[in-house]
Amino acid sequence: MANPTLMTAAQEAAEDTIAVTVGTTKTKPRARRFRREARAGYLFLAPSLLFFTVFLILPTFFAIFLSLSTWGGFDLTKIEFTGFQNYAAILQLDSKFVSPILVNTFLFAIIAVVLAVGGSVVVAQLIERLKFQGFWRFLYFLPVVATVVAIGNVWKMLYQPAGLINALLNAVGVNSIGFLSDPSLALPAVAVVQAWASIGAAVLILTAGIKGIDKTMYEAAEIDGAGPWRTFWSITLPLLRPSLVFVFITQCIAGLQSFALIIVMTKDGGPANATNVAAFEMYQQAFKFGAWGTASAMAMVLFLIIFIITLLQLWISRRTGGDDR
Amino acid sequence: MSARQRKRHPFPWISYLVVAIGGVMMVVPFFDTVFSSLKGPGEYGIFPYRFFPETWTWDNYTAAFEQLQLDKLFFNSVVVTLVVTASVLITSAMAGYALAKLRFRGRDVIFRFVLATMMLPPFLLLIPDFLIMLNWPLVGGNNILGQGGFGGMTNNIVSLMLPFLVSGFGIFLMRQFMVGVPDEMLEAARIDGAGEWRLFFNIVLPQATPVAITLGVITFVGQWNEYIWSSLIASANPDLMTLPVGIQMLQSFIDPNRTMPIVMAGIVISTLPVLIIFLFLQKYYVRGVMLSGMK
Repeated sequence: MANPTLMTAAQEAAEDTIAVTVGTTKTKPRARRFRREARAGYLFLAPSLLFFTVFLILPTFFAIFLSLSTWGGFDLTKIEFTGFQNYAAILQLDSKFVSPILVNTFLFAIIAVVLAVGGSVVVAQLIERLKFQGFWRFLYFLPVVATVVAIGNVWKMLYQPAGLINALLNAVGVNSIGFLSDPSLALPAVAVVQAWASIGAAVLILTAGIKGIDKTMYEAAEIDGAGPWRTFWSITLPLLRPSLVFVFITQCIAGLQSFALIIVMTKDGGPANATNVAAFEMYQQAFKFGAWGTASAMAMVLFLIIFIITLLQLWISRRTGGDDR
Repeated sequence: MSARQRKRHPFPWISYLVVAIGGVMMVVPFFDTVFSSLKGPGEYGIFPYRFFPETWTWDNYTAAFEQLQLDKLFFNSVVVTLVVTASVLITSAMAGYALAKLRFRGRDVIFRFVLATMMLPPFLLLIPDFLIMLNWPLVGGNNILGQGGFGGMTNNIVSLMLPFLVSGFGIFLMRQFMVGVPDEMLEAARIDGAGEWRLFFNIVLPQATPVAITLGVITFVGQWNEYIWSSLIASANPDLMTLPVGIQMLQSFIDPNRTMPIVMAGIVISTLPVLIIFLFLQKYYVRGVMLSGMK
């Protein structure tokens, strides 16, 4: 087969020579074709661009404007521009939004990411040595198809005093634990569920990364007498970096903005704000208390935090590892 | 060779053990759900805990159908999911084709814009999108400025679909795939006098079928499971409840020991359609998750 780019180039050159030899009459259809192509292009993009204008660009500016205003809802003419007042109020060091809410947000994300990424590295690596790999991966992937309402309620059931987990604890002589009612345990308990639900996708992506590693590397390591542990640290992990960075960053983003699970499992971010995270507080402020300005400012702050953390992670991974992506 | 290798790699029983314990942790919650939904009256939420039902009964399923108005919830969920999936497929394929194969001014800027849209997290648009629904001009009694009416667009089922009709990720996925469609093929058809629409439908779309299935399955599953937006719309208009919203609503009733088994039945019923689709199209779904990195 001929090289496609070469072929088009040749074709275009041929067209050009024809155009030159015959003169201006032949350049006209070509120009017309380009115009037709351009018209088709804009037409094909029109529905998407219209959508983005109404549901993305407009709302983004509206969100920025709202975050700089005070508004109690209903009458749009009553929106009052108040500058950075909302930001100042929620970002005071003694504000509820900074502590416990932002602290909770980070804790939740860290626990979920550590469990999901750590667990998926181990599982993806171990599955490579087993038979029926597809079956094992399928098991870990199952929760990905369930709605957050299902996942949240099922785990609420598992966590309850007369639930499966406490029954197992009692069976080995441990007293029952109020996972969702103990303020010091509720946040980790929900974060575990977040990790449980997202580990399957991480396993799949890491598996693709592992399969992409050149097998001769392992043979070389074996000849050099490296054990499995050494091989993992010196070959698998470094070569898995791109997938690992990808999984890590996407899980961080998901963990920082997750709040559906918290709505389902704790309803009000309780006990005593122990599971209240930034996106959930934003949701409550807007849709429960009608403090639209405050809520929008919270959304902006969380968005900026996620954006900066993502950029930082990309920057660090570039500085330490070269050309990931 | 193989004998030597077997010596070096004995049966990896520790690996099996770790993976299997993890696998049990992944699957047991699902079994607990199914068995709880089949438990008889007074069996749920009591000590000592029992994994299996004592008396097996379908009562919770009939109760779910009655108390949840499942037919209405199913209707809403099915309509919304199908429309959103169809819309995402069509708009993504069209925009993806334009960005991959048509030459026009501003194409690269638009492509970069589409990439940028993927960075906007959904929670950021939740508040303004909801306010736009309430103040949509000329619906639900609103005047041309979106004022004066009650509920605006939330009076209509399209309010459940609107924010999901186009997907930046979908456009990106389609565009990346369509870049690989050979140009000679398109040129040949153009020389034969085919218009851009003919080209799109007869040449590009058939080639894009695998990636379209992938995008379709991801969109379908995601939309079927969507909760936050649907719950907001349902809070303005209870007629527009979808399955997840209805189930969560039932969950909040007062006596959890009685309602939880019904909730579990509802969860089983609402998860089955997705599970079946997943089992048949697992290959495509898995490819999609790998491409997107997130659910």
